[in-house]
Amino acid sequence: MNSKASATSKPVIQVQDVWKIFGDRAKEALAAIRENNLSKAEVLEKFEAVVGVREVSFDVHESEIFCIMGLSGSGKSTLVRHINRLIEPTHGDILVGGDSVGQLNAKQLRLLRADRIGMVFQNMALLPHRTVRDNIAFALELRNVDTYTRMQLADKVIDTVSLQGYGDRMPSELSGGMQQRVGLARALAADPEILLMDEPFSALDPLIRRGLQDEFLELSKVMGKTTLFITHDLDEAIRMGTRIAIMKDGIIVQIGTPEDIVTAPADDYVADFVKGISRLKLVFAHTVMQPVGEYQQRGGLTDNNEQWPSAHPEADLDSLISLAVDTDQPIAIREDNNLVGVVTKDALLRGIQGES
Amino acid sequence: MSSAESQTNESLADVAAAQQHAQESGMADREIKQAFENFAEANPEYYSRTFLKIQQDKLSALHLNLSAMIGGFVWAALRGNWMMFWIGFILDMMAAANLGLFYRYTVAKAAAIEAEKAFLVERFSSWTIKHLIAAVVIFIIGRLIIGWMADRSYYKQYSAWRINSAVNSGVSKKRWIIAGLIVTLVAPLTLYRSTQDAPDQRACIKQVRAVQDGKQVSFKDRFDCATISEVPTLTWLKRPDKLQFVRNDDGTRTEQWTPSTAKRPVNVNTWLSEKIDQSIDRAKAHYGHVFDGITKVLRTLLNAIEAVFVGTPWPVTAGIFLLISYHFAGPKITVFTATTLVYLGYFGFWQTAMSTVSIVIASTIICIVVGLPLGVWVGKSRHGSAIVTPILDVMQTIPSFVYLLPAVAFFSIGKPPGILATVIFAMPPMVRLTALGIKQVPESTKEAALAFGASPRQLLTRVELPLATPSIMAGVNQVVMMSLSMAVIAAIIGAGGLGFIVVDALGQSQVGRGMLAGIAIALIAMVIDRIVQRANRSEQ
Repeated sequence: MNSKASATSKPVIQVQDVWKIFGDRAKEALAAIRENNLSKAEVLEKFEAVVGVREVSFDVHESEIFCIMGLSGSGKSTLVRHINRLIEPTHGDILVGGDSVGQLNAKQLRLLRADRIGMVFQNMALLPHRTVRDNIAFALELRNVDTYTRMQLADKVIDTVSLQGYGDRMPSELSGGMQQRVGLARALAADPEILLMDEPFSALDPLIRRGLQDEFLELSKVMGKTTLFITHDLDEAIRMGTRIAIMKDGIIVQIGTPEDIVTAPADDYVADFVKGISRLKLVFAHTVMQPVGEYQQRGGLTDNNEQWPSAHPEADLDSLISLAVDTDQPIAIREDNNLVGVVTKDALLRGIQGES
Repeated sequence: MSSAESQTNESLADVAAAQQHAQESGMADREIKQAFENFAEANPEYYSRTFLKIQQDKLSALHLNLSAMIGGFVWAALRGNWMMFWIGFILDMMAAANLGLFYRYTVAKAAAIEAEKAFLVERFSSWTIKHLIAAVVIFIIGRLIIGWMADRSYYKQYSAWRINSAVNSGVSKKRWIIAGLIVTLVAPLTLYRSTQDAPDQRACIKQVRAVQDGKQVSFKDRFDCATISEVPTLTWLKRPDKLQFVRNDDGTRTEQWTPSTAKRPVNVNTWLSEKIDQSIDRAKAHYGHVFDGITKVLRTLLNAIEAVFVGTPWPVTAGIFLLISYHFAGPKITVFTATTLVYLGYFGFWQTAMSTVSIVIASTIICIVVGLPLGVWVGKSRHGSAIVTPILDVMQTIPSFVYLLPAVAFFSIGKPPGILATVIFAMPPMVRLTALGIKQVPESTKEAALAFGASPRQLLTRVELPLATPSIMAGVNQVVMMSLSMAVIAAIIGAGGLGFIVVDALGQSQVGRGMLAGIAIALIAMVIDRIVQRANRSEQ
C-alpha cells in the first residue's frame, strides 16, 4: 500500500478536467473563464455564478485512500459528489472503472450508486424511523434484495464495524461515534468497490475520531476498498491518506504523498498548512541525511563508524531520535549493509524543525 | 517593592480613581443636562429638571405637566409628540361629541315640551344630564391623562431622539399647522354629526329618487345624506333583464330573456348580485349533470358510512368505540369515551350524533384522499407551491359560514352540499401540513438515499413520507376537528345531525335544548381529539 505500488495499478476513478460552476449562466461563465482566466470574484460579479470546482483532474488507484483536503468552501464536498453524479459537472468527465458516469441513464446511474459506490456523510444522514439493521440494509432494499438475504448481509457488516447487538436499536439511541459506524456499515453493506467518505469523522469528538480513524485504517487494509476521503483536517489527511490532494478555491493546489506535501509544499498556501504538522512520522532518513560522499569531503567520516548506531534510509525521524538520544555519535544510514549517508544531531534537529 | 508599600500605593490609586470618577460624573451631569436642554429648546430648565428626576427614579407618582394638562393636544403638537396628540385629541373629541349630544337632546326636549309628550320629555332630560356629565368627566380625565403622561412620554421621545436625531425635538410652529389641518378636517363634521339626527339609508334613497323625479330637496338634507349617513351611492345602473332557462324536449335548455319591467335604476350591489345569480343559474342549467354526479358520489359515500354508524345497533357501535379508544388511547381516555357515550345515549342523541360522525368521517376521507397528494405536490414542486399556497391562504381567511354559499348555489341543500362545504373548509391543514412534513425532510437525508440509488418513487415512499408522517398525522387531526365544527355549521343548509338541533333550538329560542346538543358536540370533539392525538403520539 505505498505510492509506488498504486501508481502502477490501473485507476479505479478517473476525474478528467472537471469544472463545476453554480448559477444560471454557468456555461457562459465557463467559456469566459477559460478564455480570460477570470478569478472567482470576477466570475461572481460578471455572471452571478459561483465556481465550485475548477479544472480538476486526478486518478484514484485500486485500494488507495485518496484524501482531498481543503477548508470549507474549497469545493471538496462538491467535487466528491461528482463521482456518483449527485452533482452534474458543468464540464469534464468522470470514469468509474473505465465507464463514463456522465453517459449513464437514470437506471444505470441508480445501479452504479447502489452496487459500486458506498458513501458516508459528515452528518450520518441515517433514517430515524428505521432500526440500525434496516438502515444498513437500505441500499440492498432499494435494489429489491429479499428480506432474508438483506438481513444476513446486514448482520455480517454489523460484525465488521463492531456493532454487534445494536441491530434492533433505533439510530437516536446511539452515540455520535456509533451512528457513524452505522453510516460506514451502510456504505459497506452492498460490498461496493468504491467508498466516498465526506468528512466522516469531522463531527465527532477528538478521542472517538482517532479511534474510528484507526479502525477504518485496519478495515481498509483488510478490505482494500478504493476510498476517496474528504477532510478539512490535514492531520487526518496525513494519517489516512495514501495520497493527498490539497484544494483551495475549487482548484487542486498539490497532489502527493504525505511526505511530499510536508517536505515539498507546492506553494505558500500549502506551506502555511504544513507548518504546524509534526514531521516525526513523515520525514525519513534519506531526506535529512548527508550523502556519504559529501560527509567524507567535510572530513567527518571516522573509522569507528562501524560502532555508530545505524538505521535504514526509510526510517522516520521518530526512530532516529530514539537512536540519537543514547549516543554522542552521528547515525549511520545503511542500505543492504552499505553506508549511504550520515545523520548528525544538527541535521536531525533541522529535519524536525523543517528547515532542511 | 514590599507588600505594605504596594498596598498603600493601591489604596492611593483607589482614592485618585474615585476622585477622577466623581469629577467625570460631574462633567457627565452637565453634559446630560445640556442634552436635555438641547432637546427641549423651549422651557429647558423645567424639562432638564424633570428628565433628571426620571433618570434618578425620583419622579413623584402624581407628577403632572401643567402646560400639557392645560394645552392638551395643542401642547403635544407643539412638542411633536404625535402619539400624545392623538390620545389628547380623541379624548377631547369624545368630550365635545357628548356636549354636542347634550345640545341635541336639549333641543329635542324643548320640542317635546312644546308637543306636550311627557314620556319624551322625561327620556330626553335624563339623556341630556347623562351626556353633560360624560362630557365633563371625559374632558377632566383626558386632561389628567395628558398631564400625567406628558413628561414620561416626552422622556421616551428624548431617548429615541438620542438614537436618531431625526426624531422630533424642541418646539415648532410648523407642527401646529399640521395639527390645525387635522383638527379642521376631523372636528367640525364630527361635532355636527353629534348635534343632528342623521338620516338613514332608506331616507337617503328616497331623497335620490326625489331628485331623479325633479323635486326640490333642501341643501341641508342633501348635505346630511352626503356626509353623515351611509356613503352616498355614486353609480346607478339599469336593472338587468330577467333570464330563464326553458327546458326543451331533448333535455337541453334554451336561454330566454325577458326585458326588465323595473322603472328605477339600481345600485352596483343589486346589479352585480343579479348577474352572479344568472351565471350560476346558467352553469346549473347547462352542466347540471356534473353537479348531480358529484352529489350522487357524495351521497353514496355517506350512505355507506351511515350504514355502518347509524345502521348498526347501538350496543355494537358503542362497544367498538370503546375498543378503539382503549387500543389507541389507553384506559383513562376510555373512561372519558364511555362517559360521552352514556351522555349521548341517555339524552337521546345517539342517532343524531352518529349522523354527525358519519359526515365528519366522509369529509375526512375525502380530505385525506385529495389533500395528501396535493400536499406532496406542494411540498416537492415549486409550481405546486406557487399555485396552491395562495389559494389555501385565501381559503383560510374566509369565515366558515361563507363556504355554505357556493355549496348551496351549485348543489342545493341537504347532506352532500354539507359534506362539500365541510371538505372545502377542512382541506387546507391537510395540504399545508403534508407539504410542511415533506419540506422538513433534511436535504442530507434525501441526498443519502439518492447516493444509495433510490429512485424518485422510492425516495418518496421510503424516506419522505415516513419522515413526514408526524406532520401528516397532525394534519389529519386538524382535518377531523375542523370537519366536526363545519359539519355542525352545515346544519344550516340541511346537513342534519347535532348541528340541526342547535340551529333549530336557536330559531325557537329553546336555550336548554340547544345547550344539551352543544355539550354533546363538545364531548364528541374532545373524545375524537384525544384519541387521534394519543394514537399519533404512541405511533412515534
